[in-house]
Amino acid sequence: MLTLILIALLAAQAPQAPQQKFDPHDLSGHWNRTSRFQTFSNVSSGQGNQQGTAEAPFTAAGKEKFEGNKPGYGPRAVPPAIGNDPMGTCDPLGIPRLLNTEVITPHQTMEIVQIPGRFIQFFEWHHEWREVFVDRKLPAADTVDPTWNGTSVGKWEGDVFVVDGIAFDDRTWLDKFGYPHSENMKLQERYRRIDADTLELTMTITDPEMYTRPWVSDTKLFRLDRAKSSRWDEQIYCVPTEEYKFNQRVRDEAGGRGTAK
Amino acid sequence: MANRLFVLVLLLLSLPALAHHGSNISYQTDKTITLDGTVTEWDYRNPHPQIYFDVKEKDGSVSHWATELLPTPLMLRNMNVGWSRTTVKPKDHIILVCNPSRVAGAKACLAKELTLNGKVWPLGAGPGGPPPPARGATP
Repeated sequence: MLTLILIALLAAQAPQAPQQKFDPHDLSGHWNRTSRFQTFSNVSSGQGNQQGTAEAPFTAAGKEKFEGNKPGYGPRAVPPAIGNDPMGTCDPLGIPRLLNTEVITPHQTMEIVQIPGRFIQFFEWHHEWREVFVDRKLPAADTVDPTWNGTSVGKWEGDVFVVDGIAFDDRTWLDKFGYPHSENMKLQERYRRIDADTLELTMTITDPEMYTRPWVSDTKLFRLDRAKSSRWDEQIYCVPTEEYKFNQRVRDEAGGRGTAK
Repeated sequence: MANRLFVLVLLLLSLPALAHHGSNISYQTDKTITLDGTVTEWDYRNPHPQIYFDVKEKDGSVSHWATELLPTPLMLRNMNVGWSRTTVKPKDHIILVCNPSRVAGAKACLAKELTLNGKVWPLGAGPGGPPPPARGATP
C-alpha cells in the first residue's frame, strides 16, 4: 500500500514533460519491465501481489506437468534443493520466460536491435540473445527441431510488430512459477511502442496439449533505459560451476540435503 | 528528482524479484540466530556471494557454516561502501546475524547483519544500511 501511495504522489508531482517524438517502428534500445506480473499471465496462482482473476486453462496433461514443475518462487515455491527450476542449473530459460519474468532492473535489461531483415533481442540475464527473421515465412513445424528460443518470424501490422514462433523446447517454463508448455506450442508476441519511453507486449500461446484454449498474457510494459547503452556490459552469466558450488555448499545444506563444506 | 525517486520506488518494488529463487523459501525469515566465528572462504560471485566460516562450539568442536548474502555482487558494489572481492578474508573475525534454515541442524543461513573485525558491513536497506544502490555505476 505504501508503495502505491508513493507512486501516486510521485506521479502527481512529476512535471508534465512535453511529448517526445518517436518512430513507432523503432523498437531499439534497452528496456526494463515495469508491469507487475511476473507470471505469463495474471492468473490467481501467482504470488502475493501477482494475484489475478483467473486460473490457467489447463488440460489434464497441462495440470499434471504443472504440478511436476517445482519452482522456487510463488505460492508453490519449494526450497531449491528439492525443486527443479531450470534456473537452478543454469539451463537456458527460453522464450517466453526470458520476456515475461527475467527482464527487470538492475541487471536484466532486454536490448532490442533492429537491422535489415532481423530483429534481435539481447537479454542480460544469462547473456542470451534471440533472433527473429523479419518478413520471412515461418517454416513448417515438422521441418524444424525444438530449440530453447524457438523459431520465429516477425512482420509489421500497422504499428504493431507481430512475432510468430514455433518449436520451443519443452524443458523450459513459461515463467518462474512453473507453467509448462509443449513442443507444439505456438507463440505470438505483439510489440507496440506506445510512446517514446514505453513498449507494450502481449503474448498469446496456443498449445492444445497443455491448455484448453489460447491463453493471452497480461499486458507487459517496458520502460526505455536510455542510460544503459553508455554503461559497460555487466556480463551477467549463469555459470554452471559457480551455481553448482553454491547449490552444493549452501542451498542444498539449507534445504536439508547437506553436503560437506 | 522525480525521476530518481521513480527509480528508487521501482527498485524497492523489484527487490523481492531480485532474490535468486529459493533464497527466502529455504530460510526462516521470521527468526534470527547470531554466530561468532572465523572466516575460511569468501566467494564474491553470482548467484549470491557466500561466506564460509568456522564456529567453535561449547564442547570445543568446530562447526563449518555457510551463509549467503541476498544482494548480488553488482548490488553490493553499487552500495558504494567498499564491497569487493577482498572485503572478506580468511581468518577474519565474523559476527553474523542470520535467518536459520527451515531444516533443523542445517549449517547454512541467510545473512542479515554482518560484522567483520568489529566493522558493520551493510547488506541492504534498513538500520545501518546504505542508501539504495545507485543504478548501474560505470567502471
